[in-house]
Amino acid sequence: MMRGDQGAQGAPGEGDAGGSVGRPAEPQAVTVVVADDHPMWRDAVARDLTDAGFKVVATAEDGPGAVRRTLATRPAVLVLDLNLPGLRGDQVCAAVTAAGLSTRVLVLSASAEQKDVLEAVKAGATGYLLKSASRETFLDAVRDVAGGRAVFTPGLAGLVLGEFRRMAAGAAPTSCTERLGLTERETEVLRLVATGMTYKQIAAHLFISHRTVQNHVQNTLGKLQLHNRVELVRFAIAKGLDTSPPT
Amino acid sequence: MSTGGDRPEGVSSGPPVVAALWRAIDVLRPIALGWAAYGTSVRSGSMTRPWLAWAVLGILAAWTVVLLLRRARTPLVLGTELALAVLAILATRLVDTPEVIAAGAKTVPGVWPAATVVGWAVLRGWRGGLFAAGVVAAADLLEVVEPTENTVNNIILLLLLGGCVGYCSDLSREGHAALQEAMQVQAEVRERDRLARTVHDGVLQALSYIHRRGTEMGGEVRELATMAAAQEGLLRTLVSGASLPPPDRVEGMVDLRGLLGRYAEGTVQVAAPADAVMLEHRVAEELAAAVREVLDNVRRHAGDGASAWVLIEDHDEHVVVTIRDDGVGVAPGRFAEAAATGRMGVANSIQGRIRDLGGQAVYDSRVGAGTTVELTLPRRGRP
Repeated sequence: MMRGDQGAQGAPGEGDAGGSVGRPAEPQAVTVVVADDHPMWRDAVARDLTDAGFKVVATAEDGPGAVRRTLATRPAVLVLDLNLPGLRGDQVCAAVTAAGLSTRVLVLSASAEQKDVLEAVKAGATGYLLKSASRETFLDAVRDVAGGRAVFTPGLAGLVLGEFRRMAAGAAPTSCTERLGLTERETEVLRLVATGMTYKQIAAHLFISHRTVQNHVQNTLGKLQLHNRVELVRFAIAKGLDTSPPT
Repeated sequence: MSTGGDRPEGVSSGPPVVAALWRAIDVLRPIALGWAAYGTSVRSGSMTRPWLAWAVLGILAAWTVVLLLRRARTPLVLGTELALAVLAILATRLVDTPEVIAAGAKTVPGVWPAATVVGWAVLRGWRGGLFAAGVVAAADLLEVVEPTENTVNNIILLLLLGGCVGYCSDLSREGHAALQEAMQVQAEVRERDRLARTVHDGVLQALSYIHRRGTEMGGEVRELATMAAAQEGLLRTLVSGASLPPPDRVEGMVDLRGLLGRYAEGTVQVAAPADAVMLEHRVAEELAAAVREVLDNVRRHAGDGASAWVLIEDHDEHVVVTIRDDGVGVAPGRFAEAAATGRMGVANSIQGRIRDLGGQAVYDSRVGAGTTVELTLPRRGRP
């Protein structure tokens, strides 16, 4: 009995009990760019999205193309294959983030390269999904990401937990690292995500609302990305890059 | 002398030790020449043809300068140098009277020929060193006719010099060759790894696609989809296993992620940090065996279609492995009851294993809500 669905979390359909306040715009309005180097897969994804009422405004087959088309069309969501030729997934994410777009990135990959996934998320991706996810899971994930809600797999939650432990172990406790560390509750929620619970199950387990669970996951992602930026700035200062004149 | 199939030659190629030796010879040569010039200037009064001595030294000086400018060290260059050394030694017979030579006077080039002996040793190993030393020794013997104690002494020193330096350069060349071969193999493995990842990624894409479309189309195609899904799961496990960084070569330590990663398949997912979780080999194997038993229990007792998740967490002083399933679950107290009646392997085997390692296993289960097992293990045996 094989279950191909590797369990993306946080499909809005499963947690509609009072948690659906502030649903994103109608699917019709959600614009998407699909970047994937496999034409077969790219077309299938684009077709699925179109069938579900999303508007696929562009497709790209390599990293630079993905950045270019995303900047040109400013979609709500960039569905990004992690292994594109030309640019690494985290580089594409960083480029999109750096451009100051409101575009959210949903990373898709067929073979989970742990470090790469983590780097992409640190560089600003909002969600991560294995390609084996079912069509419904995928469409839900696009909707979630479009609404700014983080989409985690258990594997990603494990990586993020590990990353926070590493950061906590590596840095001397300062007010900065403390603020960027996870709260007990956030750790608890993340551990439950990592052991395969859906947001709805977590909400029931912890006696909190579905929305609160989402917020907790959201916060961990925000802290991770903020920490990444803090590290970059620290690196820049250490290298004396901050003294160069603004361009 | 310049034959095909030579070893890589010249200052820039070859192992660093050899390059350093070449530089040393470049330093040795002018110093030896200066020493010879000093000797000649001191003794020029007693020489029959001092001008010849100065001419010989002039030629050697020119050659020394040429070699400083021209970095190539071919057999032809070193052969020329050896010939120059021999001629310079033999020229001593014309510079000094036989009586002075028999009395043990130094040759015109002095210790300068030692440079060429070392050169041959570096270029051609101990055989080259001994060969050049032999040639210079023969020239010395020809020059002196009646070997003095000094001559014999110098000849032995030359042979030792040539042999020892040659042996050293042989060793460093062999070491260098082995290192380069290893680096080559490593690069090939890495490249193959990279290619394999690309290929695997493509195959995974295709399998995912078949799985997804097949499931949607239904009917007989659904069977194909199931097969594709099974292969997809296996391949993904293989790929993610291969992409793990090689375990740090810490004596007797092993990356727990690698051990538990083997359990990942269609219904079992493993979540882990991005960095290696190093444990003593014995401890890691025991822990992995305990996890295996928990997963076996999931298969046996959790019901059809139950999935399981394994989470590895590294808290420096202890490692936590959490295994959760979404199966039928058990009523609280069942585990204790089972332990009491001795019917279930859970309490005995898993608890026992973990307790032996100084850790603890905590069970949490509710009917219909699956079971969670948390295995906590301190690093370095009992706390």
